[in-house]
Amino acid sequence: MLRLIGIEFKRGLLMLRRYPMEMVGQLIVITMIFYGLFLGARYIAGPTAQFGERLDALVVGYVLWTFALFAIGDLSWGLMDEARTGTLEQVFLSPYGPSRVYLARNVAGLLVTLALNLGILLLIQLLTGVRLDFSPAVLAPLGAVLLGAYGIGFMLGALALLFKRIQAFLNLFQFVLMFLIMTPFEQFSGTARLAGELLPMTIGAGQLRALMARGEAFDPVVFGLALASGLAYLIVGLWVFDCAVRAAKERGLLGGY
Amino acid sequence: MSVLVCENLQKSFPSRGRSTRAVQGVSLRVEPGEVLAFLGPNGAGKTTTIKMIAGLVRPDAGTVRVAGRDPHRDPWALRQLGAVLEGNRNVYWRLTPLENLEYFGVLRGLSAAEARHRGRALLERFDLTDKQNALTQQLSRGMQQKLAIAVSLVHEPSLLLLDEPTLGLDVEAAETVKQLIHELAEDGQAIVFTTHHLDVAQQLSHRVAIIREGRIVAEDHTDALLVRFSGEQYEIEVVGKIDAARRERLRALGAEPLDGRVVYLGAPEGLWDVLEALRPLPILRVEKDRADLTEVFLKLIREEERA
Repeated sequence: MLRLIGIEFKRGLLMLRRYPMEMVGQLIVITMIFYGLFLGARYIAGPTAQFGERLDALVVGYVLWTFALFAIGDLSWGLMDEARTGTLEQVFLSPYGPSRVYLARNVAGLLVTLALNLGILLLIQLLTGVRLDFSPAVLAPLGAVLLGAYGIGFMLGALALLFKRIQAFLNLFQFVLMFLIMTPFEQFSGTARLAGELLPMTIGAGQLRALMARGEAFDPVVFGLALASGLAYLIVGLWVFDCAVRAAKERGLLGGY
Repeated sequence: MSVLVCENLQKSFPSRGRSTRAVQGVSLRVEPGEVLAFLGPNGAGKTTTIKMIAGLVRPDAGTVRVAGRDPHRDPWALRQLGAVLEGNRNVYWRLTPLENLEYFGVLRGLSAAEARHRGRALLERFDLTDKQNALTQQLSRGMQQKLAIAVSLVHEPSLLLLDEPTLGLDVEAAETVKQLIHELAEDGQAIVFTTHHLDVAQQLSHRVAIIREGRIVAEDHTDALLVRFSGEQYEIEVVGKIDAARRERLRALGAEPLDGRVVYLGAPEGLWDVLEALRPLPILRVEKDRADLTEVFLKLIREEERA
């Protein structure tokens, strides 16, 4: 698996280098947004990505929002693109199987995006002299949320494999993500809370709100639940993706677009 | 052990509420070092069969064994298989040839260093070394196809599947790819390839299988198939005019003298008497009628249509 992640990481970097304008564009957008946040322009992150009033809460919220969007959509966009250009079947000829290859591609993609974001964040901290001050404990629920996001990403990837063109559906999914991340289910009670927390990403997002907006202490039990939810959604996502691979092979859908 | 054994492959696809039978009971066998040309008209079931062999389309019934392993149950069976699929780019145009070889080598189970090492050797063998760092999208169509074949060989598979490897190539590029396949076959690589270029199939294949409407209508060694469909007649071309006495003698032997040539349809040993009758006219050519694969193919397909 490490070998696969390594080669996907290399491929990801090479592809970035081969689209220089896209890479420069991405860097400019990330830099502008972080710089704006540091200068106090809260609105720049949008209403969807705020876990509190403080700068560190804004930055964490924004990072979570962009990473979750990336985790949910990257696989589907990639599958649609590869089906169109005609490399999809070659990837499916790997003895590792498509689930493992795309999982490795997701991890590698996350590492590339993480490196870009962290690099810019550190640079801006150096330039502005402003230091972010948040507990590393924040990273735990963030990771749990991303696991769930990748689970959803695999489910959408299954749709992309079977139906090929799901662009409109993917765009619509931003609103679903907004609902899942921004609804404070942890403050609901009874069945509504239970139902909300059974949804993907909600427990981790709730813990982030508790840590950053309400200044509560890190609760390992809540994190355990967030992690279990994230892992469960990832496993279900991989299972759904495997079912879609079988169905696509059954119906001979892998080559067409 | 056979490199490929397919038995009774069947596949239907739903189409407009009905089920279309794409492949109906196809069985194939390929031995190590053997080249099988898999021929058929458009929509006959060639690509579906190739994709069932490659594990990309699941058969409704029947079995596939590549080097003894079933790619539909055991993913590591794919380690023994390389494929260049028709209508696909097969490689990443935004990567260089060497990067493609390294990437797909690792995807097929090699370490990155091993994939790079084998990739360099393949680029040299395929005469692409000077292009190893150019972007694939900047290569000519022929070079891209050579690269796709190199990528399919990087993990040294037992079986190479080539679906229409010369389709869309200009004459020169098609010749290069043809030469490449010929060299691979000479080195003992087992290959199954589909093509509409029947001259290519005739030159490169040891055996031919012809499929029509999902069924194999002929399968044999290429030479045996050509002989089977060749006529019994001999044609002798001579210089000069055949005089009346000779014409009469030739007719008595069962030969038909025509302008500058004689057609003989008798027993093969009687040919010596015909040649004796022509003495001392200089003989330019003696040839037994021999079908080419195009004739065989058309004959079989038309016979099937009539049936």
